[in-house]
Amino acid sequence: MSVKYVPVQWNRFKWGYDALLLIGTGLFLWIFIDLAPGVLSHERPINPQIHNARAFGACAFVMLTVILCIGPLSRLDRRFLPLLYNRRHFGVLTAMVALTHFYFILNWYFAFSPVDKFEAVLSANTNYDRVSGFPFEIFGVFALMSLLVLSTTSHDFWMKFLTPPVWKRLHYLIYPTYAAVVAHVMLGTLQDQQDQGLTVIVVVSAILVATLHIAAALKERVTPPQTSGWLRVGPAADIADGRALIALLPGGDRVAVFRHGDKLSAIANACAHQNGPLGEGRILNCFVTCPWHGFQYDVTNGRSPAPFTEKIPTYNLRVDEGVVFVDPDPNAPGTFVPPVISPLAERVS
Amino acid sequence: MTAAGTLIDIAAWWLIAGAVVAGLFLTIGIDRIDEDSRGAYAFRPLLIPGILLIWPMVLWRWIRLEGRSEQWHARYRPPRAAHLPVAILLAAALGLAVIAGLNVRQTWPAQTVPERLSKVEP
Repeated sequence: MSVKYVPVQWNRFKWGYDALLLIGTGLFLWIFIDLAPGVLSHERPINPQIHNARAFGACAFVMLTVILCIGPLSRLDRRFLPLLYNRRHFGVLTAMVALTHFYFILNWYFAFSPVDKFEAVLSANTNYDRVSGFPFEIFGVFALMSLLVLSTTSHDFWMKFLTPPVWKRLHYLIYPTYAAVVAHVMLGTLQDQQDQGLTVIVVVSAILVATLHIAAALKERVTPPQTSGWLRVGPAADIADGRALIALLPGGDRVAVFRHGDKLSAIANACAHQNGPLGEGRILNCFVTCPWHGFQYDVTNGRSPAPFTEKIPTYNLRVDEGVVFVDPDPNAPGTFVPPVISPLAERVS
Repeated sequence: MTAAGTLIDIAAWWLIAGAVVAGLFLTIGIDRIDEDSRGAYAFRPLLIPGILLIWPMVLWRWIRLEGRSEQWHARYRPPRAAHLPVAILLAAALGLAVIAGLNVRQTWPAQTVPERLSKVEP
């Protein structure tokens, strides 16, 4: 989190996350490059440039696969949510590893070309009309360009500047990027492998990523109600203290109705930071805390505590015979709405 | 000039245009459209690589924010409805890549005689 783009609240967990990330990446590369070149069963002797290129390429693939799994795993099981915390750092590191892979490839396979080496990447193989022998390099180039766009637009400024929904749509690039990486590997290095181990790893990774994304998307699939006027959310007694009920509004937006003791308040479910699901968070120290990155809001006015300046819309509520209803028209972000009193013991008859 | 050479030239010009936009945006624009940026300078160099790559998007947002035509509702509408279509498309693309790669692989599932893809010109 940042105030005026100066990082604050950099806690031990975040330091630990980044440290683990760096150690894990370093360990992978060390094992691949120095410790176990003998067990990688290269059919022909290879020089250090090729060996390094393979190490960084394999590392980038594994990192990208893990990144792609974190999102759906967090939606399927809340225990994976902590992995989301510094996922952007994970992404930036992956882009750097992929760039290093490109550096080794460029300065070996294309370094001795009669034309400029960048031009050689695009012109060395132009068999776009066939699958066998297809210029798989183009998938790698696309993936690298996409990873650079994603990593260079990961700073908090971009989310505020582009708005979270536009930023999110831009970052959907990660999906064609992963597909391009799999195509790059399948039509590239796997065409020349006698050993089936790498093939199994790549195919299992692709199946895992695809399955997790479909499972998470199916879990979230709901149809917005077609009603107008105040919307029934559910029994007030079903809302646990410090937790929320999430309701889908006719326009497709979501509202989170929170209980704080015997008071109920409603705020937008989308965090101002990355549109994380606030309703899946809980109230800590009087503020609802986003489960994705820990941004906090006062549930009565949708404002982050000072010195933070984030604001989210609030909603008007009423409770009729123990049932919570919400006005689907949001108030402007930061608008105070008096909480509705509803004791925990009150139950629907 | 070859098609590849033209693409490299376009990329170079794209980056030059991005550098111009970065210079203007980080010295003039950012203070006008983002109050949190006023007086904050250390983070600005971090934005340069992103602006070089997506400068048309930067210009679009800059113009939009200058015009004050933005609806605040739009900030709180995550594209959740796209999750399932995106997941299906991703699965299809991955399946296609895997099947294509395995189908044309010359040494899989059994060892076969290598096939020459194209003749070498004398």
